[in-house]
Amino acid sequence: MHISEGILSAPVLASGMVIAGAGVAVGLKNLDFDKIPRAAVLSAGFFVASLVHVPIGPSSVHLVLNGIIGLILGWAAVPAIAVALVLQAMLFQFGGVTALGVNTVIMAAPAVLCYYFFGFMVRKKPLIALPAAFACGFLSVFFAGVLVGLALYFTEENFLETAAAVVGVHVFVMIIEGIFTVLCVGFLLKVQPELLPGRN
Amino acid sequence: MKKILLTLAIFLIAATLAHAHKVSIFAWVEQDTIYTISKFSGGKYVKHGKVSVFDEHENQLLEGTTDDKGEFSFKVPEKTTLKIVLDASAGHGSSWTIPLSEILGENGETPQQALEKAEINPAAQAMETPEASSVSQDQIQQAVEAALDKKLRPVLKMLAEQKEKKPGLVDIFGGIGYILGLAGIGAYFHYRGKIRDLDKS
Repeated sequence: MHISEGILSAPVLASGMVIAGAGVAVGLKNLDFDKIPRAAVLSAGFFVASLVHVPIGPSSVHLVLNGIIGLILGWAAVPAIAVALVLQAMLFQFGGVTALGVNTVIMAAPAVLCYYFFGFMVRKKPLIALPAAFACGFLSVFFAGVLVGLALYFTEENFLETAAAVVGVHVFVMIIEGIFTVLCVGFLLKVQPELLPGRN
Repeated sequence: MKKILLTLAIFLIAATLAHAHKVSIFAWVEQDTIYTISKFSGGKYVKHGKVSVFDEHENQLLEGTTDDKGEFSFKVPEKTTLKIVLDASAGHGSSWTIPLSEILGENGETPQQALEKAEINPAAQAMETPEASSVSQDQIQQAVEAALDKKLRPVLKMLAEQKEKKPGLVDIFGGIGYILGLAGIGAYFHYRGKIRDLDKS
């Protein structure tokens, strides 16, 4: 899901930086002390998840985990994801430093969106909570794909075509991501429901 | 328990599939043909990736797709600096520039031409003046360089392939360490404030 360096135009990169910066600021304000260990663990998870790759067609995909991170952290997901992306760019040369802002927006914005869409549902009865968790995992990757398409569109390419290609390549990941989020939410509901947002 | 096992299983299945992410393209010249090879980090070849070739003014000269081994080759379309751009779809891309000197060889000739000239001329000029023999020395040098280039290309290719290293354990644990360190810094600032409050009271 990372966009490589040297593909996007300067205005897109710059606006990515600005939006990501604002998101990180809001997230840090939201990150009270008891959330820090959680954010660190999830950030580490995100950091490592991108190493497990599945080649599909000419591209390759991996678990993004932004759905579950958004669900647990809310706005604090933005700094958590940003930190992991900085480290990925520095240590693995994924994405690259100039594309950091855009990549942060691509992966963190769906996380926050999913928090608002599904956050209040996951503590309800399993009949509501588990489908909501699946949708959360599924849509977090879907939105990320749409954002990739959008970023490429503003640079030059055809939006619908690119977005469709990116989303198409990631359909498999969306499903896996959805299942994974269901497993996580199911597990947390039993073990530590306080981690999840919303009330019974 | 069942769920944990299932999660583990998913991770294991995913982990056995190839690692690939960053893409790179490497191109080299052999006589009048340019060969390119495209890979994801971790060594997976880019299959059916789009390769476009541009001149120095960003005019597209030609394009093609990579085969199953990530290779794509074409005849030198124009004697100019060539920029070869790989688009592996979905924002994955990379480029490689071949400078004019590599295409032309040293004297504005392709290495092959230089080689032929150097082979023919020394014999013809052997009986001429000392001045001419110094010229033929130049040509011998060119011939040697051309031959060396030819022999070294596979080695260069191997080096370029090896330069591509995938993230190692050090990188992974280093990254996790950084994240834990950041959490530690957060904790430090939190408790510093608390301790100050305690000292005051």
